[in-house]
Amino acid sequence: MTDAPGAERWKEHQSAFDRVRAVAVTVSEPKSADWIAEQAHVAGNTARDHLQRLVEMNVLRTVSGGTATQYEPDPLYTRMQALRDLLDNRDRDDLLGLRGDLQEQIEEWQSEYDADSPSELREQAAHSDTAEKTREMRRTANDWDIIAYRLQLVEDAIEHYSDYAGSAPAPA
Amino acid sequence: MFAFDGGYDPGQVSHTILLEFRRTIERHPAVQHASGEPPGQFIRVVATLDPAILGSEAYEGTLTIRWFAGETADANPEFAFHYSDSSGFDCGWHHEPNPHVDGWAHYQERPTADDEYVYEPISFNSLQPVPLLWEILDRLEIRLSDH
Repeated sequence: MTDAPGAERWKEHQSAFDRVRAVAVTVSEPKSADWIAEQAHVAGNTARDHLQRLVEMNVLRTVSGGTATQYEPDPLYTRMQALRDLLDNRDRDDLLGLRGDLQEQIEEWQSEYDADSPSELREQAAHSDTAEKTREMRRTANDWDIIAYRLQLVEDAIEHYSDYAGSAPAPA
Repeated sequence: MFAFDGGYDPGQVSHTILLEFRRTIERHPAVQHASGEPPGQFIRVVATLDPAILGSEAYEGTLTIRWFAGETADANPEFAFHYSDSSGFDCGWHHEPNPHVDGWAHYQERPTADDEYVYEPISFNSLQPVPLLWEILDRLEIRLSDH
């Protein structure tokens, strides 16, 4: 696997631990240590050691069932990272403004496509007249899914603002 | 409502991947800065590159990354890594339904914005976001150094 394109550069600039972390936090489904090792270009035992540490740090959690232990991102950690990104350089007013912007964007798509959800828009995309139009609608549906998630995060951040921001004055 | 119970939320997985892209891409020596764009929405990552490090004579380059993890947990991701620079050249590695090639994976490029794109079908070594990011940066370097 060391011959994989880009692997040399990646190994040169990111440690084995960081590579294991980066692969393991971006999976859609639980994966085994061997699978993660191959993707991250590390030995199986190295991956197992790093994965164990990441579990202890609550970055990952293990999933029972099956023959080998499987790993997936800890949903609480995932959420905390996303909230941290939102709260960096944003005070409560910024978050309120952002909530309005995201809601407006979703409403715009709802009325433009007469669809209630991203999956409804994908449904329509499958039956559109041209391939170009299909691609555009699918891209919008994908953006919509991401923005809907962002909106949930913003609402969470607003609701718990004082807990999340602590007592420190809001950044400018 | 949330994916706290382990249910699959494509928006959550995709956004997590975009956050990771922003973090990891800055490790590459050609990348000067990366950010989520538009800032409030964060539906793509835009990285400012120094094209000279990748073997190009352009003075400024940008790599824009879109990523969607798929409607279901076992679906294929839809993505685009698109590069453009101050010479007018732009090219991209895409994986999405398209009218230009059979299958999803393709490479497209044009010498300037006034030209038509040329498309070619390709295959990727990995469809995992972070290994693929480094693969694309490698392909970009190869493309720019013999451009």
